[in-house]
Amino acid sequence: MSRFFLNIKKYHKYAIRSAKAELKSEVADSYLNWLWWIIEPVCFMLIYTFIFGYVFHNKTPYFASFVFVGLTAWDFFNRMVKGSVRLIVSNRDLVKKVYIPKYILLLAKSYTYLFKMGISMVITFCLMAAQSVHLSWHVLFFIPITIILYILTFGIGMILMNYGVTINDLNNLINVFLRMVFYLSGIFYNINERLAGTLCFILLRVNPIAMLMNEYRNTMLYNQLPSFTWLGIWLVIALILNAIGIHLIHKNENSYAKVI
Amino acid sequence: MNDNDKKIALSVRDLHIFYRGLKKTSIRSSWMHLKDKVEIFEALKGVSFDLEEGKILGIIGKNGSGKSTMLRAIAGIFSPDQGSIDLHGRRVSLLSIGVGFNKKLTGRENVYLSGMLLGFTEEQIAEKEKEIIDFADIGKFIDRPVKTYSSGMYSKLAFAITAILETDIMLIDEVLSVGDQRFKQKSYNKMKELISDDTRTVVIVSHSLATIEELCDEVLWLNDGEVIEQGNPVDVLPRYTEFMSSKKKK
Repeated sequence: MSRFFLNIKKYHKYAIRSAKAELKSEVADSYLNWLWWIIEPVCFMLIYTFIFGYVFHNKTPYFASFVFVGLTAWDFFNRMVKGSVRLIVSNRDLVKKVYIPKYILLLAKSYTYLFKMGISMVITFCLMAAQSVHLSWHVLFFIPITIILYILTFGIGMILMNYGVTINDLNNLINVFLRMVFYLSGIFYNINERLAGTLCFILLRVNPIAMLMNEYRNTMLYNQLPSFTWLGIWLVIALILNAIGIHLIHKNENSYAKVI
Repeated sequence: MNDNDKKIALSVRDLHIFYRGLKKTSIRSSWMHLKDKVEIFEALKGVSFDLEEGKILGIIGKNGSGKSTMLRAIAGIFSPDQGSIDLHGRRVSLLSIGVGFNKKLTGRENVYLSGMLLGFTEEQIAEKEKEIIDFADIGKFIDRPVKTYSSGMYSKLAFAITAILETDIMLIDEVLSVGDQRFKQKSYNKMKELISDDTRTVVIVSHSLATIEELCDEVLWLNDGEVIEQGNPVDVLPRYTEFMSSKKKK
């Protein structure tokens, strides 16, 4: 474990630089440049709000903000999971030519996604102001919730990254899985209103993304305290996943170059 | 330097590298072939050698004899499956073309990315930045995206980065011939200058015996993952040439 932290310390600057480079190159060719980072989430929010707010008559208060908070959390999770599966293969040139602890690649990727999530968060707050959501100090809970979301997705990412090297069609499986989680997480509907009983419990607590999304909304939009028990449980699970991921990568990373 | 303060810069002991186990698979085939035996290919079968500080070692051998595998193992890209590699605390870099280049970014930004991947800090690279850019000699293109480069310019920049950012042990895998005639000469000279440094230890893999003969102090001859001979180029090279030509006749 200490090797992990030493490596993070050593390569941290590289990860930041590489993340910046990636963001820069992402917008280098497009006409509207970085504006896309704002336009894209706003457009998706408008689409979901229109379909599920107007077409399906959703009565959830502050519905646009509700959707946007969900999308912000979902996008981060979705990008991390999708990105990690093919991460080693897409960095083939690098992996074959130089030694770098492989989770640094994930770290660099995660910084780009965190940056996008940050933009999305700022838009969320603008939207909340526009909808005159009543703000209280509870809103600050978005920081610890984000930290738990980050640790959890990083752990999942490391494990997927390891198996993504040897299992070719993990990518397809993950895509199906992500689509399922997307609809089950209540991004554009309120699980609490639509479902009850065990199913509601399972969807809201056993599915970490729905759980975190729900906590984001409770604290940011509805001035409630989060469920500390469940946040704690998922933090522990997240740390265990990280330990497993680090172990897998330390064990296998030197063989990646032989396979790809 | 007299014989008493010979320092060993690199020791390889009984090095084995296997290619096996982590075979590419799909979920379907891993279900169907759970019990299948994995095929093991042994690329290096117990290689041992020592290299003194400041020496230049050439590795020769036919294709597939494990030369590149060994360089990568020394560079730390593979870990030994058996045996050990001891660098005695020295920094090592594999001189290879275009590590970590992001083609949408400018050459200058890629200099930093590449350099940091090789383990240098931002400050160290900033210090050498001008020297690298001068050496690469690609003019205004340094501030244009790498994807606009010709393949020659690309390799020139890549070579300049690894050649100017020096490490204690340099591993060179057939990169002495990049760019046009002028750059080739320049890089060859730079190479000679770099490796003639008394404290720098170099390992070269090349098929060009002329290069090996001119640059190297020692030669290691690998065949099918085993050491055939290690010694002075003058002794080893003729036997190697004979071996290769006798094989051709068969």
